[in-house]
Amino acid sequence: MEMDSLPNGNSTIPTSTTTPPSTALSSKLTQLTESLKLEHQFLRVPFEHYKKTIRTNHRAVEKEISSVISIVNEAADSDISNDDAVQHLTSLVSRLQGLKRKLEEGSRAENLQAQRCRARIDHLESAGAENLSEWNNTRMKRILVDYMLRMSYYDTGLKLAESSNMLDLVDIDVFLEAKRVIDALQKREVAPALAWCADNKSRLKKSKSKFEFQLRLQEYVELVRAEDHLRAITYARKYLAPWAATHMKEMQRVFAIVAFKGNPECAVYKIFFEPKQWDYLVEQFKQEFCRLYGMPLEPLLNIFLQAGLSSLKTPHCYEDDCTKEDPLSQESFRKLALPLPYSKQHHSKLVCYITKELMDTENPPQVLPNGYVYSTKALEEMAKRNGGKITCPRTGLVCNYLDLVKAYIS
Amino acid sequence: MDLNPIKDAFDRVAKKQKMSSSKTQEVVAQMIREIEKSLEIIKAEHCGSEVDCKSVFGELKKKLQEIAPLSQLEGTQKELNIALSKYPKQLEKSFNPDISKAYRNIDFDAHTVNQIIAGHFYRQGLFDVGDCFINEANEPDSTAAMKSLFSEMYLILEAMKNRNLEPALNWATANSIKLKEKGSDLLLKLHCLQFVEILQGGSRSKALSYVRTHISPFGANHFSEIQKLMACLLWSGKLHQSPYSDLLSPTNWNVVAEELTRQFCNLLGQSFDSPLSVTIAAGFQGLPPLLKFMTVMAGKKQEWQSMKQLPVPVELDREFQFHSIFVCPVSKEQSTDENPPMLMQCGHVLCKQSINKMSKNGSKTFKCPYCPSDIDSTQCRQLHL
Repeated sequence: MEMDSLPNGNSTIPTSTTTPPSTALSSKLTQLTESLKLEHQFLRVPFEHYKKTIRTNHRAVEKEISSVISIVNEAADSDISNDDAVQHLTSLVSRLQGLKRKLEEGSRAENLQAQRCRARIDHLESAGAENLSEWNNTRMKRILVDYMLRMSYYDTGLKLAESSNMLDLVDIDVFLEAKRVIDALQKREVAPALAWCADNKSRLKKSKSKFEFQLRLQEYVELVRAEDHLRAITYARKYLAPWAATHMKEMQRVFAIVAFKGNPECAVYKIFFEPKQWDYLVEQFKQEFCRLYGMPLEPLLNIFLQAGLSSLKTPHCYEDDCTKEDPLSQESFRKLALPLPYSKQHHSKLVCYITKELMDTENPPQVLPNGYVYSTKALEEMAKRNGGKITCPRTGLVCNYLDLVKAYIS
Repeated sequence: MDLNPIKDAFDRVAKKQKMSSSKTQEVVAQMIREIEKSLEIIKAEHCGSEVDCKSVFGELKKKLQEIAPLSQLEGTQKELNIALSKYPKQLEKSFNPDISKAYRNIDFDAHTVNQIIAGHFYRQGLFDVGDCFINEANEPDSTAAMKSLFSEMYLILEAMKNRNLEPALNWATANSIKLKEKGSDLLLKLHCLQFVEILQGGSRSKALSYVRTHISPFGANHFSEIQKLMACLLWSGKLHQSPYSDLLSPTNWNVVAEELTRQFCNLLGQSFDSPLSVTIAAGFQGLPPLLKFMTVMAGKKQEWQSMKQLPVPVELDREFQFHSIFVCPVSKEQSTDENPPMLMQCGHVLCKQSINKMSKNGSKTFKCPYCPSDIDSTQCRQLHL
């Protein structure tokens, strides 16, 4: 519980609160529930991965079984010698035995992934008032690993996850799958990306993804760039034409590319040849990838940074005497918060300039003759130490403790 | 949060997956058996007369048709598919499926974010990870200063974990004047820990001389603490049975370690908590009301992108309250330099504009909205929070 030791207070003495502890605890728990609801990605991604493994394994089985059946059917319809028959059947048996082994392996992999899904649920369940700060610490690390993986800092992501012993709580293997495709695209190879599209064909189609078209288009552009016009046209016929129904306009432009290749002045067509088209493909892939796994397109870190900065941002943050406990006292945080809105509050909250503690009815604000406000606790202590005299820390005004008046601020 | 529906939905998936995979195993085993049977027949009759292979294959074909492996699998697969499609729906129901709904389309400067992250790693004592990150992200080594500052702190804390107070004492002694200025008695606390360690080591005379050299200078302000330590000398060897057994509690070490961390950061001009952790924790509290707002105001996505202030109040815990905020109870507006809070004679506070309005620009007295007092606006005083 954070109630007892305020990180922005100087003392470690428990401070009294206006709300009785039971309601404070229950509001803490409501807050926890609300924040747990933000963890969709945490459960969704391993599940999508699990589902994918199940589907892939099943497809492999179906394919193998069908092929065995068709071999038998073929053999039944043809004349076959004894030796050939024995050889045929033996090879079928060993094929099926191979399939059986593969099945066992596959189901082991599935079970491992199911275990990971469960570990995630258990981890969410383990969050409670008593271990909150440790749990939040792990959450911070999870968010950082997510950032590393999305920004392609795989080594750091892995190192952080390993050193914190939380491999089950992050999706390194999922992102490694993406890494293969991204690495290839950066080397201007589309094959792994196309294979990925084929693997996820039905889902990409459902979301009306243009990604495969864009890949094909890039390959075509590369053929044109290499002046291999004949192959380019054959390629376009084979791979681009099927998209004509939905992408007619792009298609027309595409076919005109050949004509404009020699003319670098024409802006519309020039962009197709720019190297940054490949970076664009990488970005495009990342988005498709996130969508497929049910993840937000931005790193979690950015989402929570934005929300956090907006909630913390007040005009006072940009003043020179901003306390260093406020993240927005730092230049880098201020810079990030610049384009974000200020927070909004419906109730007054007074933080004592001296103790940095929140004032409330137990520790109400008092006003010096010059209008400066401090908490009763701070002023009492000062009066005790200085024989009833109060010195305003901001103006240097000296007055008597008896000169103070209480302010009632709701 | 009730995770039971999610657990149940997942258990169904896992169960169906197990069923489906054992069913598949079974079907494949069945096929193997049939093929092996046919193989036996051909082999058995091989030595004797020419066997009609075609009919054996025909028989096998018929058998496989009877087994119908693919349609056998279909049933369990269908059940599995239902469970597989239900689980994500349950997740979407229990969780917020799109937390980026309240995200503004601005790009954070990646370099700034990376610098913040590198600083975070170093100040959390994750030096290896920090180094790896700087390297991989190709960030210039401007956080190196941060690293060397905090590495000293972690060396001290690490030593403390091994019950070695020497580095801590060295640091606190070297910074004793600054610590005193900040009102911290960390040095005394460290000496006390050391004293108890020596006493536990069994040497009463050493402990006594330790008090004389190191602790007695604190006598002026900490008389009672020192008395207590002296009394401990009487219980040497059986301190755990003494009234002072609480001095042995290992939590004392944690408390002092935390105080050391706090003071160390303080002297470095750094916050006690990592600013990144604080911001992210605030984000977890601030995001839910924003998402709720975005759901209600689905059509106003465009306005959201340019708002100067959040459209809904975001209440953060007191640990995130760094500044005084005054919201006028009449106008509900936050005070500004032009519109400051004013103290009325009765002790209640309103903002200047509200007072001007209620007094018709000072031309008449008005009633305080909170108590029966008559307020003369010329008598109101501006507050500095």
